[in-house]
Amino acid sequence: MTKTAIKKNAGKASSKNAFDVMSYLRHDLFPHFLCPGCGHGIALRALMWAIHELEIDKDRIAIVSGIGCSGRLGAYIDANTFHTTHGRPLAFAAGLKLARPDLEVIVITGDGDCLAIGGNHLIHACRRNLDITCMMLNNEVYGMTGGQVSPTTSEDRYTTTTPLGNTEAAFDACRLAEAAGAGFVGREVTVQTPTLKNLLKDAIAYNGFSFIEVISDCTEIYGRKNDLGNSPEMILSQKSQMRPNSYGGVIVDEPFRPNALPTGVLSTNARPEYGETYRNAMASAKRKK
Amino acid sequence: MDTKTKYKEPVNVLVVGVGGQGVIMVSKVLATICQERGYQVKQSEVHGMAKRGGGVFSHVRYGEQVFSPTIPKGSTDVLLALEWAEALRWVNHLKPGEGTFISDTQHIVPPFACRNRKRGAEAGYSRETPDQILSRIKDGFALDATGMARELGNERAANTILLGILSTALEFPEDTWRDVISRFVPPKTVDINLQAFDQGREWARTVHENSDLAARHRRSEKLAPAVPGPDRDEMSDFVQLDINPDWCKSCDICVKMCPERCLKLDDRLKAVLTEPDRCTGCRICEWLCPDFAITVHRTPEAAQAAVRV
Ligand code: SF4
Ligand code: SF4
Repeated sequence: MTKTAIKKNAGKASSKNAFDVMSYLRHDLFPHFLCPGCGHGIALRALMWAIHELEIDKDRIAIVSGIGCSGRLGAYIDANTFHTTHGRPLAFAAGLKLARPDLEVIVITGDGDCLAIGGNHLIHACRRNLDITCMMLNNEVYGMTGGQVSPTTSEDRYTTTTPLGNTEAAFDACRLAEAAGAGFVGREVTVQTPTLKNLLKDAIAYNGFSFIEVISDCTEIYGRKNDLGNSPEMILSQKSQMRPNSYGGVIVDEPFRPNALPTGVLSTNARPEYGETYRNAMASAKRKK
Repeated sequence: MDTKTKYKEPVNVLVVGVGGQGVIMVSKVLATICQERGYQVKQSEVHGMAKRGGGVFSHVRYGEQVFSPTIPKGSTDVLLALEWAEALRWVNHLKPGEGTFISDTQHIVPPFACRNRKRGAEAGYSRETPDQILSRIKDGFALDATGMARELGNERAANTILLGILSTALEFPEDTWRDVISRFVPPKTVDINLQAFDQGREWARTVHENSDLAARHRRSEKLAPAVPGPDRDEMSDFVQLDINPDWCKSCDICVKMCPERCLKLDDRLKAVLTEPDRCTGCRICEWLCPDFAITVHRTPEAAQAAVRV
């Protein structure tokens, strides 16, 4: 081997393949608008990391986001991004994916955006099974509008609209998506960043609708009101309330913590991808004419 | 020891090692031999966190009559250690001035000895060398039995090499040893174990004839590393942290989550690296900073190529 060849390889291993999140961000918009300690930033890094490891070209990525703290994340990504109306990112994404099946369409949405305002869009997106990845950031509150109760707020928690504690039961978004027929359903906490990255990688690579619930923390508006501690305490306590649903691919039950939510890949549902079904139907209709 | 054939006092053999090495097997072999020779035997054992590499020890006492199953401190006749640090832990249980010390010099480094997680850092394992210990003991043997057994073709035969040395310190006939060992080891490994037994015996005999201290410490040609290190070509010690104070929002996550506690918030409440020597480059601060304010570089090239704002 000649000297230049060795040098080339060394450069390849160290700098070219290494993940540098800075090359995926729009620096002029930083520092971002999220509060100190908001888990959304960690989730954004995990998503960029997954895209980097899948080696998807930036021009082939389309990020669609809704309204809310989560919706704002799209603006910070240096790729094709689309900031849509409240609750509708899945509807916009469906149109985009049907028109441009070559794009990798990823939706970033929040618990209120996805389950309340856009709840109907979610269940129908799951039902159709179009090849979209939906990353729902669940921080249990409407943070941007001042901390109102959301469909995932835990019972007895205080928000600006539940001064006596929340009396409604919360959604389990993953079970909802699974029941509605989503192809790939998973959940992870932000503090497990590399695991979250791997889960997102699987979700993006999956051919069909994939739904990932990311448990994020809202320290300033939700945590403060409910005495959940500062951000490091909050992200750690979130982790302790979860349990991996499988170890090394073996699904396990945890009888000692029945209330712990499972994390990891929760279900897969192999069905025909809607985009293909649709194009085949169109093609055969054209042939018949 | 030959003078003690009419045992008024029991003979005390202490077998020590680390979980999984075969301390119990070795002491069972010994106890069986004693029984077959018509002695009363008492054996008692303690397993530390055996599965996690914790200490295991076994007391074997035999004689005309044995009452207590445990050996009083300072009255051990033979200390047989399968691991070096365990040998040091028990060495003061030997009878002062007359006990026999036999130890494998292999190191099994427990996780809690690895206090400093920096790459290539030295473990907090005992620094005493076999030569230092042997110089303090009248009748001591230290050898890399594991290495010898590896050369024979089966690392697990190391205990049998040590048994071979032990057989020269006790008065039982060689045939009984060979017979009992063949019964205790897995049938497929009888040959190699008997070979190992002979090697141990042979080595001990040559050392007995030789009064030179250095001869009592047998080193193997190639010592396996105690802690297998990372592949040096891929992992360098280089770590460089870039912290962008303009993006840091003082959330404290990196400070609290860094496993080495090497970050702090300064008087402007911006994260700073206060203990660069302790930083292992694990990237946890980089992953968990929600504001993209920290970047960890593991190679000089990456540090140079990094996109900076
Ligand atoms: S890389 Fe960051 S988290 Fe890891 S030891 Fe260094 S400062 Fe601490
Ligand atoms: S995690 Fe980031 S934003 Fe928070 S204190 Fe550390 S550097 Fe600053």
